[in-house]
Amino acid sequence: MRATRHLTAVAAIICLVSTSVSARTVIQNKGSDTLVNVAQAWAEEYRNVDSEVAVAVSGGGSGTGIAAMINGTVDIANASRKMKKKEIKRAKDAGQNPIEHVVGYDALAVFLHNDNPINTLSIAQLAKIYGRGGGAENWSDLGVTVPGCKKGKIVVVSRQNNSGTYAYYQKAVLKTAAKAGVIAKSKYRMGTLDMHGSKDVVDLVEKTPCAIGYSGLAYATDHIKMACIATEEGKDCVSPSVKTASDRSYPIARPLLMYTNGEPQGAVKAYMDWILSDAGQCILKKKGYAPVRDVSCN
Amino acid sequence: MTEDTMSLFEETALNAKNKRVQGLYRTLFMLMTLLLITPVVIILATLVVKGSAVLSIDFLFTDPTDGMTAGGIFPALLGTVWLVTVALLVSVPLGVAAAIYLSEYAPDNWFTRLINLAIINLAGVPSIVHALFGVGAFVIFFGFGTSILAASLTLAIMTLPVVIVATRESLQAVPQAFREACWNMGATRWQTIRKVVLPNSISGILTGVILEVSRTTGETAPVMFTGAAFFLPFLPQSVFDQTMAMSLHLFVVSTQVPHVPEALPYGVALVLIGMVLIMNSISIAFRMYLRGKKKW
Repeated sequence: MRATRHLTAVAAIICLVSTSVSARTVIQNKGSDTLVNVAQAWAEEYRNVDSEVAVAVSGGGSGTGIAAMINGTVDIANASRKMKKKEIKRAKDAGQNPIEHVVGYDALAVFLHNDNPINTLSIAQLAKIYGRGGGAENWSDLGVTVPGCKKGKIVVVSRQNNSGTYAYYQKAVLKTAAKAGVIAKSKYRMGTLDMHGSKDVVDLVEKTPCAIGYSGLAYATDHIKMACIATEEGKDCVSPSVKTASDRSYPIARPLLMYTNGEPQGAVKAYMDWILSDAGQCILKKKGYAPVRDVSCN
Repeated sequence: MTEDTMSLFEETALNAKNKRVQGLYRTLFMLMTLLLITPVVIILATLVVKGSAVLSIDFLFTDPTDGMTAGGIFPALLGTVWLVTVALLVSVPLGVAAAIYLSEYAPDNWFTRLINLAIINLAGVPSIVHALFGVGAFVIFFGFGTSILAASLTLAIMTLPVVIVATRESLQAVPQAFREACWNMGATRWQTIRKVVLPNSISGILTGVILEVSRTTGETAPVMFTGAAFFLPFLPQSVFDQTMAMSLHLFVVSTQVPHVPEALPYGVALVLIGMVLIMNSISIAFRMYLRGKKKW
């Protein structure tokens, strides 16, 4: 038929145009939404380092990356949390051998609307807001009134449950507070707004006076406030920054991980080595994350 | 003329009332119509106002740079062309063949009715379900991996019902007398289809294809699991490569990447809508040309 013949011609032209590019090795890299923008920047820059190797980057969350590692469909899985024992076992059962690499650190910032008078929050206060049965429902429970927040109710913004950020925040805040006896269980409360990306959290909190949210420091903008975090009430607080994440003084900073299947070899090894080199670490630092060691970048 | 007959043509109170009511309904329905097109106008206007700043030839034909906060959209643009083309290559022959069988050959029995019912139901399946089917069937079972082939096959299956239904309807719109005249000349069924039915229904078939192209271009869910990547530093070279896609790229720059200039997502959306509109107008023009040649 005529229509089909035309389409075949179009397809043939496209094939001809695009096959003129030479064949390359492709590294599949998938996972954490926290890491995805650094992973993208690395992939973009790595073109200039080794033009024979191309890195394909996809997001979806740490859980997505780890699942792909278990299925054996990726070369490198990005994760902002450690693989659980159960997941490692499932991977080994499926014939994979995930090896963990720390590629940087990320300070998890607690975001507040610019009009919110609060500057400092303790882990215990965060647990009261986020934890099940924590008791802090309204901003008045924390002793403040937020201008523009008419009902006074705290809008608690969280992440979807396959997110590594969600899991790490639960561990660093809720579990710590549960151990100290502030809340009964290290579980999130009901009725949180679970966003599908770090940027969504920041966008929402930026526009909502009643809201509180958490996300990687790299997603901070000029139009949002980041709380200074104290490990205990009354103690000195630490503001999230690349520096405080690097020296581990900020209480909710986590390692950013990449998992390879077995010890990296060939193109994957070269790529991992480059990521941990000064060049790779400087890209990470420029994106607002903390490098694994001191690097001097221009 | 007497006064009596004159009064026959004078407006009575009832006439005036009817006229008023009629005018009222006319205005009401016109307002409804205006209301209907308002969102379209607002969307297009917003996109043009906010997005046209980034539009340029360079924007269309260069790679994204600086962590996708600058540069162009070429890999995504080309990727969408790949995805749509391969999907069309699969679904049009398949869909038209199925429609020809159903309309021209199939006897009217319970089995044919079952197939028709299945096609209608397939059209109602949400795209995310097609996406998961695509992952299970094409990515994993057939082992195509995340690739253009897997994504396009998923899109093709998703849009098949549209092609089949549109084709079948335009085939059935060809008057039965045309076929009978042809058969009476001693032509076989296939000769009749080839020389009489298809040439007379091609404009309707194209309508189905147009609908498919528009839908395929905009779909995000079926491609993000089966073939589209967040970022690729290379252009796809065969159907077994992954690709970037306009729809996913729009999702990524508007929700995933921090510090994106405000105009960029609007620019991407504008190009996406522009692609659909241009493809549609080409097909519509072609359809009108073909319809102009119709002799009935």
